[in-house]
This record gives sequence, structure tokens and C-alpha cells, in this order.
Amino acid sequence: MSEDRGEKRMRPRGRKPRRKVCEFCVSKIEYIDYKDVNRLSRSVNERGKIMPRRMTGTCAKHQRQLSEAIKRARAIALLPYSVD
Amino acid sequence: MNKYELVYIIDPAVEETARKELIERYNALITSNGGTVDKVDEWGKRRLAYAINYKTEGYYVLVCFQAESELPREIERNLQISEPCIRYQIVRVLDKRSNVKPRAPRPVYTPAKVETVAEAVQEEAAPVETEEEPVIE
Repeated sequence: MSEDRGEKRMRPRGRKPRRKVCEFCVSKIEYIDYKDVNRLSRSVNERGKIMPRRMTGTCAKHQRQLSEAIKRARAIALLPYSVD
Repeated sequence: MNKYELVYIIDPAVEETARKELIERYNALITSNGGTVDKVDEWGKRRLAYAINYKTEGYYVLVCFQAESELPREIERNLQISEPCIRYQIVRVLDKRSNVKPRAPRPVYTPAKVETVAEAVQEEAAPVETEEEPVIE
């Protein structure tokens, strides 16, 4: 049903938005490690903020783990709390 | 016994020999209180993401250990007192991280079973049709 509706409704700006897929689900990560700075730094913007789910497409389960991991990494100075 | 991970940052100004002694002392703290040290991983000198006490570098050490639940508090107390330790963090490691949560076993349908069921259905259906047809006519 949702597929039918998607075809019929006209998008004001042509291009269909691609469905974002959770990066952590794709790479089958069960536990997001707070020590994995490389991976965590990708989920943080240039100001050091945690990227929202609507930007990255991360699923709810992994976003919860991710935010926990980033906060732990910040506590031991692996990631910055803020960048100016 | 629970599994824990301890990360602490030692002041980079501390000499190598003194630093080794320090790491030994922290490990002894765990073992003498009924814990076991599984792994000591020295990451070495790293840049800190932000300055702590005007220091921009730190010597990171990761210790994986098993202990009763009272020990982490005791370790934290000691690390807080000790001068050369800039930062520390103890995290409980759950076993869940390594393996997927087991699901309830699903009933397994073997191909042989499916065939017999299908045959039975056909056998049942067939006589019904033959019986019904004359009634309709």
C-alpha cells in the first residue's frame, strides 16, 4: 500500500529520497565499542555533536548504543565534547 | 564475578620506569582484592581530544579484569587519589557483546514432513471434490 502511494504522489523536487540504511546493521555490529574512535568520529559532526538519526539513518537500537559509546569516549578524552 | 574494562590516562611527564611501577601497582590492586587481570593493553602516548589540566597528551592504559562488584568502586577511589592518573573510566562488559541473543528455537520443517502433509491434503481434497460434483449437477 505504501508503495502505491509513493508512486502516485508527486514530489515537488523530482528526485526520490533514498531510504537510508543503518550502517551498523549492514556491517553486523552487535556492540559499538567506545574505544573505536575511527567509527565513532564518523557519527559526530565537525562541532563534535552526535549526528541525529534522521541524518545518518542509524536504527534506534544502534543509535542508543552509539550515543552511549560516544559519551564514554568523551569522558576519557578520545572524542571532544565540543569543537569551536 | 563480573567483567570490567578500565581505561586510565597517566600523565605523560611521568618517567617510563615510574610509569611501569604505577601500572604494576594498579594491577596489584585488582589481584590483591580477589580480582583477576585478563589483559593489560598499553596504547601509549595519545593526543587528548581536549586539554585536561593544561595537558594535551596522555599515556593510555586499558585493563580488562574480572572482579566482584565492590572492587570497581575501590579502584576508582585509589585512582582518584593518585596524582599521575589524569582520567579513569571503568565500564562493565556484558557478555552480550560477543554473541547474539539466542532466539527461541523455531520448529524445523524437514522437506519429508512437508511432502507428507501436502499429500495428505491432496488425498483429503480429492474425495471431497468427487463427492460434491454430483450434488451440484
